[in-house]
Amino acid sequence: MMRRFLSQRRKKKTSSLIAERLQQRNDPAPTLSTSLQQNMETFKTVLGSPHDLLIRSFYIGNTNHSCAVIAIDGLANCDMLDMQVLGHIQLMISTASKVVPTEPDEIIRMLYEEVLSVVEISKSTDFTKTLESILSGDTALIVDGASEIIVIDSKGWKTRSIEEPVSEGLVRGPRDGFTESIRDNTVHIRRRIKDPNLRFEGSIVGRRSRTDVIIAYIDNIADPELLNEVRRRISTIDVDEVEESGFIEQWIEDDFLSPFPQIHNTERPDKVSGALFQGRIAVLVDGTPMVLILPVTIGLLLHSPEDYYERWIVGSLARLLRYLAAFLAVYSPAFYIALVTFHPGLIPSDLAFSIAATRDGVPFPAFVEAIMMVTTMELLQEAGIRLPKPIGQTIGIVGGLVIGDAAVSAGIVSPVMVIVVALTAIASFAIPSYHLAIAFRMIRFFAMFMAGIFGIYGVVLSFITIMIHLSNLTSIGYPYLAPLAPQMPRDWKDMILRAPVTFLKTRPDALHPKDENRMQTGGS
Amino acid sequence: MSTQTLAEKLISKTHMGINIASVTIGVGILTFPRALAKATGAFDGWISVIVSGLCACVIGWLLAKLAARFPRQSFFEYTSIIASKPISYILTFLVCIYTMLFVSFEIRAIGNIAKQYLFYNTPVEMITLSFLLIVQYAVVGTRVSMLRLNLLFLPVVLVVLFIVLLFTTQLLEIENIRPYFSSDWRSLLEGSKEVGLSYSGFEIILFYTMLMKKPQEGAMAVTLGLSIPILLYMTIYMFVIGVFSAEVATNLTYPTIELAKEVEIPGGFFERVESIFFTIWIMTIFNTCAMWLDITVLNLSSMFHKVHKTIWVLILSPMIYFVAMLPQNLVDFFTFADGVTYFGMIVVYLCPILLLLIAVIRGVKGHE
Repeated sequence: MMRRFLSQRRKKKTSSLIAERLQQRNDPAPTLSTSLQQNMETFKTVLGSPHDLLIRSFYIGNTNHSCAVIAIDGLANCDMLDMQVLGHIQLMISTASKVVPTEPDEIIRMLYEEVLSVVEISKSTDFTKTLESILSGDTALIVDGASEIIVIDSKGWKTRSIEEPVSEGLVRGPRDGFTESIRDNTVHIRRRIKDPNLRFEGSIVGRRSRTDVIIAYIDNIADPELLNEVRRRISTIDVDEVEESGFIEQWIEDDFLSPFPQIHNTERPDKVSGALFQGRIAVLVDGTPMVLILPVTIGLLLHSPEDYYERWIVGSLARLLRYLAAFLAVYSPAFYIALVTFHPGLIPSDLAFSIAATRDGVPFPAFVEAIMMVTTMELLQEAGIRLPKPIGQTIGIVGGLVIGDAAVSAGIVSPVMVIVVALTAIASFAIPSYHLAIAFRMIRFFAMFMAGIFGIYGVVLSFITIMIHLSNLTSIGYPYLAPLAPQMPRDWKDMILRAPVTFLKTRPDALHPKDENRMQTGGS
Repeated sequence: MSTQTLAEKLISKTHMGINIASVTIGVGILTFPRALAKATGAFDGWISVIVSGLCACVIGWLLAKLAARFPRQSFFEYTSIIASKPISYILTFLVCIYTMLFVSFEIRAIGNIAKQYLFYNTPVEMITLSFLLIVQYAVVGTRVSMLRLNLLFLPVVLVVLFIVLLFTTQLLEIENIRPYFSSDWRSLLEGSKEVGLSYSGFEIILFYTMLMKKPQEGAMAVTLGLSIPILLYMTIYMFVIGVFSAEVATNLTYPTIELAKEVEIPGGFFERVESIFFTIWIMTIFNTCAMWLDITVLNLSSMFHKVHKTIWVLILSPMIYFVAMLPQNLVDFFTFADGVTYFGMIVVYLCPILLLLIAVIRGVKGHE
């Protein structure tokens, strides 16, 4: 009901925004004229003649037909403009002694077809579209008296070079990561998938930021229903700015009350291409190296590309270890609380005595002790992210000393608690995707509260609650716990274990791929 | 909103089988060896387990046939086709009372057992209430995802049970299970009746067949679903008698949990396995409860279309909780449990079989 209410509210909000926009349309939009002077003035007034606006007017060849190029300094590649545009128009026409026609529209045709040696070039009569191209790095060439404008693709700004993804390191696997430039990112994917069916569907999102968003998929693998749903959801986005793919993620996710991420993000091109081959869809957003992968299942979030690159025994064992890590990351403090407070009888008596001995003199109940320590650990983790690298080590020393040693000798916490917290921290770092690890960190507190109230019974109740939630959760309509619930036995060989590659003959059933088979026959 | 296809929202034969197994395996399995040992007084109780299991299969088969005659129609709808609207209202209402009482019984059982094995100071009221809240949360979500929880929890529960049985094998004593075949048929029948109470649950086929991809497979699903509890009950009974002997088993309140108590895991990693065992067992009792509450809601909403599911859950929960708190002690509680089951026998076994008879005679059939 809550969800229905919220979606209604959202609908209402969207429709009011559209109405607002329609109202804005009533203002007379600036249009192009045939006069060069007037056009230059229009561009200047609309853009407010900013510092980085480049307007250069000149004559064609040795005639007196005036024309101008308009571009944004820094976005457009000036070297290329000098050589291929200004150079050709001013020099080549005269050196090759071409006959310049007198009609301005004929001049446009000649420039377009004969003079400008640029691959991506187009003609335009629409002011708004031209303006948008200029703002994304293109150059407009205006000839006095002509009814059309030539738009030259001259995008060429400084980008970061390709580096190894910081947040997703691997021992074995490619070292390249996505960058902030969407074009570089599509190149990364295209280089890995030479299938002609690879599609990049572009759209523009953000009322003011006009950010490029690309939906990438392989046409005869991805489920058309999934594709339509993703397109539909992206088309509903109505915001001012899209600074990061997180904006898109939060608009199109299924349940915004859930602590679990319903869309995966990654910096690794190999992960994206792997996902595309499975029948998933990727969404690339300009200006961020984080590419979205959807739909996800909890399995995907716990898998690492390395599971496939290493031999299957290694991959399977690593996965088992990660499932164990997930369990420990959520439940170890809760178990500590439950066992120490409610059921010391469950611990073997020798251990129970030694735990009791170490807790001697600790003034707090186990629950308070655990909450204190786990919160401190969260603080350290958060602080560690912000600190510049050289100071970063201090956190390790301070954290290690304060938490590990001083707190114990001061008698605030027991040494066993320190072990439990350390184990929890290590386990949560073993989870390959950061956003799932955050979800686990949140749930950890829930489990601790339940354990504090009901002991081990509360731990099981919290487990059941989380399972109910996960079973109800969907990612773009696809069940989150896919191969387990609903049962899809065909997918089990790539869930908790990773079967040898020759056994992975089919794509995941849960995604309804159009083409189910990965290989015709198994390897020999 | 959802791209899940219709086929995925329906459930398969195996899934239905697992639902039936999950709903059957609940509190009954923890207590039945006591009643059975009392009735048969010997190891021969396993014959009773099989006899009443087969009876359950036959009844389940008939119920499945009834439901399969009317695909995609709810219990209320097909009852009114067969036997007129007023009767259908009365019968569905009685079924609702039965399923509701069943939820009360299960949550109270959780409270009692948790009190005995896990807590010493926590009041039963709080244990029961917290459990009921979780059940509510499950039922308020979508129906199919609630049923999917069975797929997740049943294997865990079975694995834990298997481990417990594995570690008790060393405690089996041949002396305890002798003599064989000493009980007369009268006591075996008496025993069958006692075990029969623990088989109740497979009647969910009456209500959930409308969710099945192929309703005709319902009968198969019942057989599949009941074969798990039959095997399980037989093994557990044999182990309980083998470890404790029939005389001792008669005096244990929860013989199956006591069985876990005898386990000593080598390496001394845990002690008191029975607490862990029961903790895991909560999952399957949760499944049973969630399904019964869901069926109550399903039947009520099939009668009154306008009321939202959440509202029904909110109305029912205080009633369920109140009823669950009524029994004052264990004797009261078990009398209550028996009463519920006998009531259920009439409402969900006898009446539907009569309905099937009428449907066959009148030749009434549903339409796809």
